[in-house]
Amino acid sequence: MLLSKDRIGGMLLLIFCVTYGFLSQNIILLPIQAKAAFTARTMPEVLMVLGIGLSLLVIIFPGSQERPQLAGFKWGTAALFLVLMSAYGLTIRPFGFLLSTSVFLMAGFAMLGERSAVKLLLVSVPLVLGFWVLMTQGLDVFIEPLPWFLKG
Amino acid sequence: MIDGILIGLGTALTPINILFVFTGCLIGTFIGMLPGLGPMSAIALMIPVAASLEPATGIILMAAVYYGAIFGGSTSSILINAPGVASTVATSFDGYPMAKQGKAGKALAIAAYSSFSGGVIAAIFLLLAAPFLAAVSLSFHSADYFALMVLGLTAVAAFAGKGDVLKALLMTVIGLMLSTVGTDQTQGVPRFTLGLIDLTDGISFLLLVMATFALSEALIAIMKPAADEKRQEEMEASSNLGSLRVSREEVREMAPVIGRSSILGFIIGVLPGAGATIASFLAYGTEQRIAGPVKGKLFGKGSIRGLSAPETANNAAATGSFVPLLTLGIPGSGTTAIMLGALIGYGIQPGPRLYIDQPDVFWSVIVSMWIGNIVLLILNLPLIPYIAKVLAIPSRFLLPLILFFSLIGVYFVSFNTFDIQLMVLFGLVAVMFRFLDFPMAPMILGFILGGMMEENLRRALLINNDSWSFIWQRPLTLAILLIAVCCLFAPMVWSRIQRMRRGADRAGEGG
Repeated sequence: MLLSKDRIGGMLLLIFCVTYGFLSQNIILLPIQAKAAFTARTMPEVLMVLGIGLSLLVIIFPGSQERPQLAGFKWGTAALFLVLMSAYGLTIRPFGFLLSTSVFLMAGFAMLGERSAVKLLLVSVPLVLGFWVLMTQGLDVFIEPLPWFLKG
Repeated sequence: MIDGILIGLGTALTPINILFVFTGCLIGTFIGMLPGLGPMSAIALMIPVAASLEPATGIILMAAVYYGAIFGGSTSSILINAPGVASTVATSFDGYPMAKQGKAGKALAIAAYSSFSGGVIAAIFLLLAAPFLAAVSLSFHSADYFALMVLGLTAVAAFAGKGDVLKALLMTVIGLMLSTVGTDQTQGVPRFTLGLIDLTDGISFLLLVMATFALSEALIAIMKPAADEKRQEEMEASSNLGSLRVSREEVREMAPVIGRSSILGFIIGVLPGAGATIASFLAYGTEQRIAGPVKGKLFGKGSIRGLSAPETANNAAATGSFVPLLTLGIPGSGTTAIMLGALIGYGIQPGPRLYIDQPDVFWSVIVSMWIGNIVLLILNLPLIPYIAKVLAIPSRFLLPLILFFSLIGVYFVSFNTFDIQLMVLFGLVAVMFRFLDFPMAPMILGFILGGMMEENLRRALLINNDSWSFIWQRPLTLAILLIAVCCLFAPMVWSRIQRMRRGADRAGEGG
C-alpha cells in the first residue's frame, strides 16, 4: 500500500527532521568552542541523522499496510474545538477568567449537543465560580476574575 | 532502613498528607474510570495542583492519583467492558463476564484485593531493592548515566508491539529533538527558538504531556460517534453490583496467583520500557498455563484466577517502575517519566543522591504506596457503587471540562497565553499521529531524558578529554551499552526466529 498510515507518518516526520536539521545549522557557536568535541550543535546533529534515518526506515519498511480511516469521525467538531481553545487562550486575559471560561464551557457543551440554555448556565457558571474560589482561596493561586472594562 | 521507614511514616502520616492520599486516590479513581483517560492523563492533570504543595506532599498526591487511576481503569473494565487504559484490558477478559453473570460486586472486590496485595507486596520489594540499588548507583559516572539513558530509551523498542519498533524509536528521537528547544545549558545560546522569546526557556514538559495525552484523548473522544447510549445501557445492566463478599475458597484460590503475579509484575515493572500492560498480559497468560486444562477453560468466562492475575501484576508493575526512577533517576515508563518531570520541577533530582539528600521524599513515597493501597481498599471499594456513577455523566459535559482542566492546568503554571496556543498546536499534531498509530509515550520519555542525556554526554566527554573512548573504557558503561544494543536488535532477531520456526513447522506438516 503506497500511502499506509506508517508511510504518511514517516513522511511527515521526515519533513520535520529535515527542517530540524536545517535549523540546527543556525545555532551560534562560540569561537572558543568551535573545535570542541561537544558543542551546542552536537546533540541536534546526531538527532537529525538518527531522525532522518529512522523516518526513511519507517517509509521503506512500514510495520503495517493499513490505510488511514477518515470516514465516520466528526472532524468539523474537532476543528471547531481547536478554534474554541485558541480563542479561549486569546480571551482569558482581556475578558477575565470568569467570563471567558464560562463562555468557553457553554460553547463546548452546546457544540456537543446540549440545547437547554438553563442547563448550560447551571453547569458552567457555578463550576467556574467554585473553581475560581478554590484556586484563589484554597490554593493561593490568583487569577484575574474580571474583564478589563470592569477592573478598577 | 528502619530509620528510613520511620522518616517516611512521620512524613506520610501527617494529617495533611493523609488527606492528600485520600483525595488523590478518589480523584485518580474518578479520572481512571473515564474511558480514554489513563494514569498518565490523571497525573498530568494533578501536576499544577501538586506544584503548589510541599515536594513530599505533591509526590504523595501524584502517587495516590496513580494508584487510584489504575483502580478506576479496572472498574470501568469490569462494569462496562471499557478499559480506560491498555494495562486494564486483561482485567476485562474475566471481570466483565463476571459482571454479566450478576457478580460485578465480587469482581470489583477481587480486583481490589488483588490490586491491594500486588501493590503492598511490590512495595516491600521496593523497600528492599531501592536502597541497595541506590547505594550501588552511587559509584556511577556520567558515562554510565549516559549509557543507562540510552538503555532506557532503546528498551522502549524492545517492548513495543509487533511492527511498532521503528515507530517507537522514531518517536523517542522526536522527543529528544523537542527537548533541545530553548537556551543551551552550557553555552547559553538559543536553539530552535524561531526568534520567539516564549521559547527561550524551552517547551514545558507539562504542556507537552497535557497536549499529547489529556487534550488529544478528549479531542479523539469528541470526534468519535456518541458512545453515551451504549455506556448508559452497560451501566444499567451492571447497576446491581451484587455482594462484595469473597468466600474462603475463593481467597484460597487467589492467594498463590497473587504471590506469583506480584513477583512477575514487580520484575517487569523494574525493567525500563516494560510496564503494567505487559505485566498484566504476561501474568494472565502464565496463570492460564499453570491452571491446567479444566480451570484453564474457565479463563475468559469469569475465572477468579484470570481476574486476579492481571490486577495483581499491573499494580505490582506500577510499584516496580518506581525503582529505576527513585534509584537512578531514570523513568521506566511514561507515567514515571511524568513523575520525574514533576520532581525536577520541584528542584529535586531523583537518583542515588535522593536517598541520602532527601530521605523524607524518598521514604514517604514508598510509605505512601502502602497507605494509598489501604485507602483504595477501605475507601474506594465500599464507595464504588457511587463513584461508578461518574460513568453515567454525559460526554457532552465531560469532554469540554477535560479540555478546560488541561488548558487551565498549563496556564496556571506559566500564566502565559502563548502556552495555550502552543498546546492547541501540539494537541492537533498529537491527534494526527494517534490516528496514524504512532505511540506518544516514547516521545515523552525522550523529551524528559533528553536534557539529562545531553548533559551527561557532555560531562563524560569533558572528563575524557573530548575523547569518545569513554564508551569502552569502563566495563560498566560498555556492558550497559551492549545491553542497549541487544534491546534494539532483540525484536528483529526474535521475529526472525519465529518466522524460521513457522517455516520449519510448515515444512514438517508438508513432509
